[in-house]
Amino acid sequence: MKYILLMAGTKAGVDTYHAWSKKDIDAHMAVLKSIHKELTESGEFVGTEGLAGPDQAKVVRGQKDGMPVTDGIFPESKEFLLGYWIVDVQTPERAYAIAARIAVAPGPGGVPTNMPIEVRQVMSHSPKSS
Amino acid sequence: MKYILMMNATKVNFDAYAKWSKKDLEANVAFMRAFSKELKEEGVFVATEGLGWPEQAKMVRAGKDGEPVTDGVFPESKEFLAGYWIIDVESSEQAYRIAARASAAPAPGGIRGSMPIEVRQVLSSFADLGL
Repeated sequence: MKYILLMAGTKAGVDTYHAWSKKDIDAHMAVLKSIHKELTESGEFVGTEGLAGPDQAKVVRGQKDGMPVTDGIFPESKEFLLGYWIVDVQTPERAYAIAARIAVAPGPGGVPTNMPIEVRQVMSHSPKSS
Repeated sequence: MKYILMMNATKVNFDAYAKWSKKDLEANVAFMRAFSKELKEEGVFVATEGLGWPEQAKMVRAGKDGEPVTDGVFPESKEFLAGYWIIDVESSEQAYRIAARASAAPAPGGIRGSMPIEVRQVLSSFADLGL
């Protein structure tokens, strides 16, 4: 079963992250890197992406003529997706265990961020190539 | 440049969608299938996924022992990711035009939809970053 592990944060949260020291960011990324490596070796890794910051986010709708209307104003409480991992695991519990490891990646001063990770099943939805 | 087009919805939106007639759902799904096929033919398609329903969503943190602590209670206002497309295009404007097409997916009664689509640039993956 495929699960997606979603990391989200508000603009304020992202601003805080940008104020981390290089050392803290390096330590954080080193842990994510080792999790990525382990998931690849165990065959559970499917994909991961990091998204650009909320400042460039737009909400798009189509007008009657099909042309896009964009809006870049969001409520302060809006949670922006920052990045995700997709894993292919035997049980939801295994997905939760991986999420817990991401949640304790170190923050400033090496203290775990304990950032909540949203875990959702991924439906097999991709269009047939035919 | 890669962009992600996201459909977000609250539980109330999901519940409303679950009540659509079979005909309306089929028209919507047919649109989504055709849309992904078009993106492939245009050479901009990278990936698409649909996510499970919010009822099964869990927030996971780690306890002191590192074991996962799950929570399935969310505020009513919470926006859940319903699904996404990743496309590889030349400009943000091209991404917005494609998002506008997704936005118009048919609503009940076959009327033209105006679903909001959140558009964000996708950075290089961890693999690309050498991680």
